Amino acid sequence: MNLKVTIAGTEFKSPVIAASGTFGLGREYNAFYDVSLLGGIATKGLTLEPREGNGGTRIAETPSGILNCVGLQNPGVEKFVADELPFLDKLGTVIIANVAGSTEEDYLKIAERFSRTSVDCLELNISCPNVKCGGVAFGVEPASVEHITRAVKAVCGAKPLIVKLTPNVARIADNAAAAENGGADAISLINTITGMAIDYKTRRPVLGNVTGGLSGPCVKPIALRMVYEAYRAVKIPIIGMGGIQTPEDVLEFMIAGASAVQVGSANIFDPMAAITIVKGLTKLLNSCKIDDVNEVIGSLII
Amino acid sequence: MKDIIFTVQSKKFLSESVFELKLHTRFTLPPMRAGQFAHIEVPDASLCLRRPFCLYQFDRHSITLVIAVVGKGTKSLSNLKRSDTVRGIVPLGNGFTLSVRHQKIALIGGGIGCAPLLRVPYDYPGREFRSYLGFSTKSGVMFCEEFEQALSVGFLNDAGGGCDGLKKSSRITVSTDDGSFGFKGYAADAFLADYKKGYRPDVILTCGPEPMIKAVQKISAELKIPGFMSGEMRMGCGIGACLVCACAVREDGQVKNKRACVDGPVFRLEDLIF
Ligand SMILES: Cc1cc2nc3c(=O)[nH]c(=O)nc-3n(C[C@H](O)[C@H](O)[C@H](O)COP(=O)(O)OP(=O)(O)OC[C@H]3O[C@@H](n4cnc5c(N)ncnc54)[C@H](O)[C@@H]3O)c2cc1C
Ligand SMILES: Cc1cc2nc3c(=O)[nH]c(=O)nc-3n(C[C@H](O)[C@H](O)[C@H](O)COP(=O)(O)O)c2cc1C
Ligand code: FES
Repeated sequence: MNLKVTIAGTEFKSPVIAASGTFGLGREYNAFYDVSLLGGIATKGLTLEPREGNGGTRIAETPSGILNCVGLQNPGVEKFVADELPFLDKLGTVIIANVAGSTEEDYLKIAERFSRTSVDCLELNISCPNVKCGGVAFGVEPASVEHITRAVKAVCGAKPLIVKLTPNVARIADNAAAAENGGADAISLINTITGMAIDYKTRRPVLGNVTGGLSGPCVKPIALRMVYEAYRAVKIPIIGMGGIQTPEDVLEFMIAGASAVQVGSANIFDPMAAITIVKGLTKLLNSCKIDDVNEVIGSLII
Repeated sequence: MKDIIFTVQSKKFLSESVFELKLHTRFTLPPMRAGQFAHIEVPDASLCLRRPFCLYQFDRHSITLVIAVVGKGTKSLSNLKRSDTVRGIVPLGNGFTLSVRHQKIALIGGGIGCAPLLRVPYDYPGREFRSYLGFSTKSGVMFCEEFEQALSVGFLNDAGGGCDGLKKSSRITVSTDDGSFGFKGYAADAFLADYKKGYRPDVILTCGPEPMIKAVQKISAELKIPGFMSGEMRMGCGIGACLVCACAVREDGQVKNKRACVDGPVFRLEDLIF
């Protein structure tokens, strides 16, 4: 049975990747299982300087989902490269650096820095809804998606560039095409959907940041639809995510057009989630008599 | 820390809205200490997040939690029946760590917040504990017998040494906000009353609602008695990966967002920023 998928020349031993922001920098989950068994790990969004993130409450639960407004708390690129990358390197799985900035200059500096490190791919986060002048400013208008993609692609050297799209846009197909036109090697979607929670007793927002990003199983139908629309708009590979919790979910995303998937919130709900999905996927493919996972990519029948 | 499948061994209501849940596993549990917590799956598919509860009692094959029903998740947990299974990660968090200088210890708890303090005397036998347990009203008063028992552990072990000869009863002060039982006022006020009578603990440990923690923080600063608190932040993963449990603390003169689940939930009172 073949579980390997190749995206922009990078081979993933399984199509199941840990999503940015839900997997720390890999260490925590390694205490529960061997994280090198995953197809890859996307790091927490990394900024040029260290960030302390947002104040106040950062999480709220909604039916079958969560809202978060962490606000890109991270040690900054240099500290990540010095303290965390050596550990990730030794794992022997694909390491995707999630790049977050607030200005174009930030993005370029970070991408250039990573081009000189051992990370396998860059994931351009122009879709974080939780920081004021955050990357999402670049992610909404197709023209600015194309612009920032082209600029970053020019400085990231040989590293494959994945552009992570926000679902908070008018037409996801246009943004996907814009990333492709800008030179992206792949796209990933979806980031979280902007939402809100209110405490009726205090009449105050539950989240310190007032609004936050929705994720978890409640967003899956939206995410699937967007992967499907993006697949019809671009030729570059797609990494799908949004509410994935089971091996069946993985196949659904791949049938819609994803070459690989990321598992996010499920890790927060269950520390064994990602590895359970990886193991379950083999069983599921067996029971469906599929011996190469690549067979299902984009195989939707309409 | 380990993700473990537990079986409900017993469930007992301590008051109308508070129950004690004893969970058993055939696996040998990792070593645990006072102030650490368990992250428990809720038996309701629409509630994805686990819920954190402090380890009230534990041994090598079981943990006991005391849970106040405050919302959907705790309500759902209150419907668990004997021999149901439930997954939980244990043990999590740093727990209470006392130094050898901390021989006289004041425990100040509010409501359900008394629970994490109960285990401390077992972890530090031979030291002198006094506990101040605060509740809103008489019908909510809990944990008295359990603290009697816990404090006598220290008491007995200490009998040959430097025990100050306090009677059992004077080592536990129960207070109610409305005065319907015990001392009238907050647990922190009950502590202050003893301080005025000459009680001088080496350290204060506290857990409870935010206003109480703030009051104890002030007392600790004014009286120059160091203290530790255990907080109730909202949590996601519980294992340090998602950063949603941030708690603002002072460190080396700077404000840092620490993860309550692994860097806490116990923090020094003087470091805490509200
Ligand atoms: C380290 C730690 C130890 C804890 N130990 C205990 C314990 O031993 N016994 C116990 O009964 N409770 C304990 N709690 C609090 C407990 O986790 C929450 O009460 C529980 O998660 C609420 O779940 P729910 O679904 O019933 O409430 P929800 O429906 O999620 O919320 C109901 C209400 O509770 C409040 N709330 C929700 N989560 C929290 C939280 N984490 N902290 C404070 N308020 C919250 C909300 O503001 C809301 O008003 C602890 C919390 C932490 C962080
Ligand atoms: C707590 C939390 C933090 C996140 N942080 C980031 C981040 O730093 N960078 C990023 O690109 N996406 C971040 N995301 C978005 C996820 O990577 C993912 O796109 C989204 O949650 C949808 O997938 P899911 O439903 O499987 O979680 C975060 C999500 C959560 C829940
Ligand atoms: S709850 Fe996820 S880091 Fe603390």
